[in-house]
Amino acid sequence: MVVSFFFNPDRTFIGRAQDVVLQWVTIVSGFTLVLGVFSIVRVNGRAVTRRSEDWPFKLATVVSVFAMAIPAMLPVSANTTFGRVFYSIFPQSWSSMFGTGTGSIYDWLFNYLDSPMMETMFAMLAFYIASAAYRAFRARSADATLLLLTAIIVMLWRVPMGEAFLRLFGESIPDYLNMFIMNGFNVAVQRGIIIGAALGAASMSLRVMLGIERTYMGKG
Amino acid sequence: MGFWDKLQHIDRRWIYLLVAIAVFVPMVVVMQFPVEITQEARQLFEAIDELPDSSVVMLTFDYYPSAMAETQPMSIAALRHMFSKDMKVVTLSNIPLGGPSIAERVTREIALEYNKEYGIDFVNLGYKANYVAVMHGLASSIEAIFPSDYSGTPLRDLPLMDKVKNYRDIEFIFVVADNATVDYWISIVNAQYGKPVGSGVTAVVAPKMYSFVDAGQMTGLLGGMKGAAEYERMIGINGSAIRGMDAQSLVHLLVIFFVIVGNVGFFMSRGKDGK
Amino acid sequence: MKNNNPHISVKTIILALSLCLCFSIFSFAQSPDSVNIHPPILTLVGDSTLDIDEGRTLVVAVSAIDLDGTVPVLTAEHLMDSVIFVDSLNGQGSLVFSPGFEQEGDYTVRIIASDGVLADTVTVAIAVNDITVFRTYRLSVLVFMLIFSGAVLLYTRWARQGKKLFVRRIPGIDAVEEAVGRATEMGKPVLFIPGISDIDDIETIAGLAILGRVARITAQYETPLYVPVRYPMILAAGQEVVEQAYLEVGRHDTYDRDTVRYVAGEQFAFTATVNGMMMRDKPAANIYMGAFFAESLLLAETGNAAGSIQIAGTARPEQLPFFIAACDYTLMGEELYAASSYLSHEPLLLGGLKGQDFVKVIIVAVIILGVILMSFDAGEWLKNLFVVP
Repeated sequence: MVVSFFFNPDRTFIGRAQDVVLQWVTIVSGFTLVLGVFSIVRVNGRAVTRRSEDWPFKLATVVSVFAMAIPAMLPVSANTTFGRVFYSIFPQSWSSMFGTGTGSIYDWLFNYLDSPMMETMFAMLAFYIASAAYRAFRARSADATLLLLTAIIVMLWRVPMGEAFLRLFGESIPDYLNMFIMNGFNVAVQRGIIIGAALGAASMSLRVMLGIERTYMGKG
Repeated sequence: MGFWDKLQHIDRRWIYLLVAIAVFVPMVVVMQFPVEITQEARQLFEAIDELPDSSVVMLTFDYYPSAMAETQPMSIAALRHMFSKDMKVVTLSNIPLGGPSIAERVTREIALEYNKEYGIDFVNLGYKANYVAVMHGLASSIEAIFPSDYSGTPLRDLPLMDKVKNYRDIEFIFVVADNATVDYWISIVNAQYGKPVGSGVTAVVAPKMYSFVDAGQMTGLLGGMKGAAEYERMIGINGSAIRGMDAQSLVHLLVIFFVIVGNVGFFMSRGKDGK
Repeated sequence: MKNNNPHISVKTIILALSLCLCFSIFSFAQSPDSVNIHPPILTLVGDSTLDIDEGRTLVVAVSAIDLDGTVPVLTAEHLMDSVIFVDSLNGQGSLVFSPGFEQEGDYTVRIIASDGVLADTVTVAIAVNDITVFRTYRLSVLVFMLIFSGAVLLYTRWARQGKKLFVRRIPGIDAVEEAVGRATEMGKPVLFIPGISDIDDIETIAGLAILGRVARITAQYETPLYVPVRYPMILAAGQEVVEQAYLEVGRHDTYDRDTVRYVAGEQFAFTATVNGMMMRDKPAANIYMGAFFAESLLLAETGNAAGSIQIAGTARPEQLPFFIAACDYTLMGEELYAASSYLSHEPLLLGGLKGQDFVKVIIVAVIILGVILMSFDAGEWLKNLFVVP
């Protein structure tokens, strides 16, 4: 893929290699999903059969996996062979319940169970950041003091109430904060970290490609 | 244990309770401080506003349902702006879990308000795996990547897609995301195909995006719910982001209060111990 | 004598007919003018200045209307090779251009809409870009790659030859062994999360490499190790890594296949499960090494509440503040990639680190040079070296 980056896909096969490889990756990744389902069923199934601690929750996990997956995979019409066989057994009126379209079982479970649960977990961040800030933002050293002062200023600047408060000290203070903190220090630090991380990733990738780093494969 | 030591080791559940109150109170007592517009948000707004009416723009729904509180107001405000200018909107998502269905629901709801017709004024392409391949593929042919839209209708049956074949036919790409897909929109679509890209991201991701705006690789930026509120203000609607600013303001002030109290306690207990 | 003949003479009839004929001809001659008083209006759909790469296809659409109600006829002039123009006979037309690989250059095509008397034209300028086999405009990337690879390989070679290479201490990495030791003393497990991204993310590879090192230490001390993963491929790779580590220290009998377990595919479902593991099992040490997103603070705060010592490493700048606030040690950016080399103490891997640092020095020097040149408006050439289409 590195080589194909430099060759024209319209003129050479090697230029098209990147697209071909990406397609293969997509196909292989699809098969690994099956591996994941086996793992989750095996681990949780074993806990259920042995009646281990919290086995009802593990049973709920396994049931949930199949409750969402099976209706989504069932045919929505009799246009395919499987669809014709399926709807020769079951009524055609059931078709709106299957697949992933609006009104299907999958859609309902996603909108009314999955999505609210995800939003709830994300909302918990507000509480956790408050407790983390209370515990961690201490002026223990010059660096820590600078961190907490900057955090306070930016937290004030990012909300209308705080901005109104800052404007009491000068109309253009929020604009200066945007210019010097966000577009100044922040951009410099972000760029430094991004460049450093990119170089680290490139070096790691090179070591992996040349076989110098093999730990991730379980070898030395 | 003295008062200050107890304060330093307070049960975190008291903190959670105060945060919950700070979120709840603005629902009852509405304050609505004015939302000031940042330079980056204005840049994005003007980039869309200066496009000719009836231009074709792409709006991406690259966020999970968990981040909807911050990102959905951005998508809604962007759609209102685009439809009010009679722009043609092509939507897609690179998030398999929920992205395309959020796109479908939101665009249809907003389109009804502006009497826009599916297939003529807007199209939802849906989701395809491997976003790197998708972004590269859309440069040559949208139909090759998305032979049909989210509902399964072949693209050739949609009048809008007769004239939108690839990136050349799209004037602007507005990315609404809560993850690293924005990096790829910039490094692939803007850098390699020269398409202007603007984005609305969650507040956590926004600081990283400033470097792209500064380098000219991104045209404008909306950061978090505040960014969404700024866009809503610029298009003149009192949406959910503006209404949510009260709660956000109170919680920010509360966290600042905690930091100050924590540091006062820290210094007082340090002073007592003679350190 | 009066002529009282009532019949009309032949001469009169012929005269009348001639007059009628002349009038008809005159009227007919007038009618085109009275029907065609408006010229057609020809509109180009899109820009009038276009560019295309060789080997691609460009379609230019035009549309013409005539206020007189006729359908204009569409034609095109100055057509070059590989161009066809199609009049759809309904006022719509399209120009289809598929330049071959020898047609680089600038072309101008004129499209005409005519109603037979009046006409309108548009001119389309098309630039065809040369497409070579090798993308020479990406040469700067190749040069940089060669410099980078050369530096890494050179330092690796020096390391192999026994040259001593200095690498500064990173407290977070030193703390890993201490953390595992603490867990062993307390009789509690170690929780390791190799990120929540898939195997195609290099941060996950780095996380798995560190997992191998950590697994060796836990195998030696017989400390329980929990490794929850989010993707099936990480499950397979993780199991391989941990099993190999146990084998290498001769403790394969204590290896449990379910040390590495697939927990959930969804981000917050994974987080909720891991939080539950932390609160129930109260691991003594939590090690987060890899790509993390919104769940970073949820994991770190829960680990803090459970009383674990926490070491985190990620290359995502947006997650670093949360780990710094909630964890005892944090590896930032490239320190994550360096951790595996550092923990192994292998000269070969440390050589790679030094090579990377050498390139960083070059980048810093180029940035300083660029800032100076751009301040004097003389840096465009340097800036263009780093613009890669």
